Amino acid sequence: MIKVINALLAIVAGVGGAVVLYWLLNLVVERLPGRWEDRVKPFVFIGPAVLAIGVFLIYPAVRTIVFSFANRTSTAWVGTRNYTDLLGERDFQITLVNTLLWIAIVPAFVVVLGLGVAVLADRLSPRGEKLSKTIIFMPMAISGVASAAIWRFIYEARPEGEPQIGLQNAIVTALGFDPVAWLQLDTFKVNSFLLMIILIWAQAGFAMVLLSAAVKGVPDETLEAARIDGANERQVFFRVVVPQIWGTIVTVFITVVIGVMKIFDVVYVMTGGNFNTNVVAVRFFQELITNGNAGRAAAIVVMLMIAVLPIMVYQVRQFRAEEAAR
Amino acid sequence: MGRRRGLQRVALAGVVALTATACLAEEGGGGGGGGGGTAGDKSVEIVFGFGGSQSKGFQESLKEFQSTSGIKIKFTEASQSFDTLIRSRVQGNNSPDIALFPQPGLLLDFVKQNKLTDLSTQIDLEKVKGSLVPGVLQAGTADDGKAYGVPISMNVKSLVFYNKPVFEKAGYTVPKTQQELTALTEKIKSEGKTPWCFGIESGPATGWPATDWLEEYVLRLGGPETYQKWVKHQIPFNDPVVKQAAEALEKLVLTEGNVLGGRKGVVSNAFSTSANPMFNPTPGCYLHRQGNFITQKGFFPDKVVADIDNQVGVFYFPGESEDNQPVLGGGDLAAVFGGKDDDTKQVMAFLTGPDYKGWSEESGFLSPLKAFPLDNYKSELTKQIAKIGYEASVFGFDGSDQMPGSVGAGSFWKGMVSWISGQKDLDTALKDIEQSWPS
Repeated sequence: MIKVINALLAIVAGVGGAVVLYWLLNLVVERLPGRWEDRVKPFVFIGPAVLAIGVFLIYPAVRTIVFSFANRTSTAWVGTRNYTDLLGERDFQITLVNTLLWIAIVPAFVVVLGLGVAVLADRLSPRGEKLSKTIIFMPMAISGVASAAIWRFIYEARPEGEPQIGLQNAIVTALGFDPVAWLQLDTFKVNSFLLMIILIWAQAGFAMVLLSAAVKGVPDETLEAARIDGANERQVFFRVVVPQIWGTIVTVFITVVIGVMKIFDVVYVMTGGNFNTNVVAVRFFQELITNGNAGRAAAIVVMLMIAVLPIMVYQVRQFRAEEAAR
Repeated sequence: MGRRRGLQRVALAGVVALTATACLAEEGGGGGGGGGGTAGDKSVEIVFGFGGSQSKGFQESLKEFQSTSGIKIKFTEASQSFDTLIRSRVQGNNSPDIALFPQPGLLLDFVKQNKLTDLSTQIDLEKVKGSLVPGVLQAGTADDGKAYGVPISMNVKSLVFYNKPVFEKAGYTVPKTQQELTALTEKIKSEGKTPWCFGIESGPATGWPATDWLEEYVLRLGGPETYQKWVKHQIPFNDPVVKQAAEALEKLVLTEGNVLGGRKGVVSNAFSTSANPMFNPTPGCYLHRQGNFITQKGFFPDKVVADIDNQVGVFYFPGESEDNQPVLGGGDLAAVFGGKDDDTKQVMAFLTGPDYKGWSEESGFLSPLKAFPLDNYKSELTKQIAKIGYEASVFGFDGSDQMPGSVGAGSFWKGMVSWISGQKDLDTALKDIEQSWPS
C-alpha cells in the first residue's frame, strides 16, 4: 500500500514540481528588462530539458564509451582489447550474425503482416474488423517474458515415450515421428527463426494499429480517381495507398528495427543464448551480470550504439523531409 | 488575493512534507547501505538463493533465535536469480548483512573486489573449523588464506538414486567400483531398457548438472590434488585429464541407448524432473546421479516422496577402486558484508554453532558438523546419504561453484550444453572454456 501511495505522490510531486519550476523560472525572467526577457526566455525553457538529457543520456553514454577501453572492473586501461577479443571470438561472431538476421527478417515480416491485416480488415464488416484486430493486437499487450513462456508450450520437447506437452511435438509424435528438440535445431538457424516468430507474433499488432490508421487516412477521392482511370486493385494499393502511407511504414519499420536490436527477453527465456541462438543484448547481459566484465559489456553497448546511429539519422531526416513537405 | 496565495503556499508545503515522509518510510524498511545494513539497529538482512520448503525451513530455524536475541532478521529470497540479485545489490551499494552463497566462485569474486569481511573478525573461526567436516571450509577460503565464507549446510552429490522395488525385483546389485557401474549399465541396456535418466535444462542456468558429472570424473581420474589445481586454474581447464573425464562421461551416459531421450533429450529435459520416468509403471530409465536435494518434495513424484524410504534407493557413485572413495559436494556458505555490526556477529555465531539444527531434512538439510548425530535425521535415506558424506576419503567441493562466476556459472555451463547438444566438439568446447577464464 505504501508503495502505491509513494508512486502516486511521486507522480504528483514530479509533475507538480516541473510546473512549479517553470512557473518560477518564468517569473524570474519576466522581471528582466524588456529585450533581455526575449533573449533569455528560450534558454530558460529549453535549459532544464537539455540539462536532463545531458545528465541522464549524454554523460552515461560518454562514460560507457570510456569504460569500453577499460578492464573488467573499470580500474585500468586495456586499449582496444575488449573489442578485438570479442570480434575475434567465434561465439560472438555467431551472435552478431544472429542479430543481423533478426534485423533483416523481423521488421520486414512485422510490417508486411501488419499492413496486410490492416488492409484486409478494412474491408470487413465493422464488427469483423474490430474482432480480428483485437485478436491480432492482443499479443502486443503480453510482456516478452510471458509470450516466451507461452511459446515454450509450443516448442517443448520431452523424451520419446513420455507424454509430449509441447504442441509441435504432440503433432509430430501423433503423426508417428520421433519428437524433435526444436530449440536445439541449429541447422540453417531453424531455432533462431522459431524465436523470431515469437517476436513477429507479438509485434504485428503494433504495426497493424498504426498502419490501419494510416490506411483509413488515405482520402477516398484518390482511390476513386484511380479506379475511374482504370487502375486494378493491386495498382490502387501499390501506386496510390502505399505512397501515401510511406511515412508511417518507415516509422513502424524503424521502431521495430530498434526494438529488434535490443531483443533480450524472448531469447533469454527460451534458450538463454544456447544452441547458437545468442543475440547482442543477451550477450551484453551475460558479460555484465554473469561474467562481471564491465569493459566487455560496455564495448558491446558501444557497438550497438554505432549500429543504431545510421538508422536514427535516417529517421530524423525522413521526419524533417516530411515536415518540410507539409 | 493575498489570502489565496497563502492557501496555495500551505498546500504546497503540505505536499512537499507528505512526499518527504512517505519516501523516508520506504527507506527505513529497505535498510542497507554501503557495506551491509546499519549497525546496532537490531536488524539483520540475509539474502539466500534457495526457495520453497527449504526457504520456509530456514526462516523457521531462526525463529527461536530471533525471539531470544531480540534481533529481527529480514529474509530476502532470490530462488531463481541469486547471482543476479546479489551482484546488482552489491554494485548498487545496497549489500545485505549476510549472504548465503551456494557458489564460492561468486563469493571469491567479491573478495577480490574487497566487498566481504574476513570471518576471523566475526566468529571464533578456529573452533568452528575444528567442528566441520574436513575440507569443507576450504571452498570459502581465498588465496590470502583467510576464510570469507563458512558452510552452514552440506550437500552430497556423489549419489546414484534408483527405483528401489524395481531395482531389487530385477536382481541388480549395488556397484562398488566404476567398472561394476559400467557392467550394471551394460546389463540394463542388454535387457532392452534405458539405463540412465539425465537432464540439464535449468532455464538460464542450463548445463550445471553436467558440470557435476564432469567434476565427479576429474576427481576420480585425476585425484584430489589435480582436481583442486584444475579448479584453481593452476592447470589449464582443457588439461588431458579433463578430456579423459568427459570421455568417461560420454561412454557411460551419453552413448546412444544409454540415456533417455539421447543427447538432445539430456539438454531439453528439466533437471528437476528428469528422474521421474524412473517411477513410471514401465520405467523409462533406471539410474539417476544427482545431489541429495533431489529427495526433497517437488522433484520426485509426490507419491514417491511420501513413501521415500521404500520407493527410493541410493548408492555411492563409486570410485575407480573400493579404497578410493572421493565425495563431491557443496554447501551454503555464509559470508558477511560490512562486518561492523554486532547483531550480524551474533547471527553468524548461531548459524555456525552446535545449536543450529538447520532446516528440516525434508528440505535437504545436512549438517556440515562432523559430530552432528545421525539420529537427528529421521529417514533412513537421509541417514545413508549423510553417512556417505561423513565417510568420504576426500570431500571435493563442487568445482564449478568454486571457479570464477564467469566460468563456473557461465562458460562452463554453456560449454557443456554446446558439447552435449552437438554445437561444438569436445576439444573446442573445452578450449573455449579455457579461453574464457578471466586473467
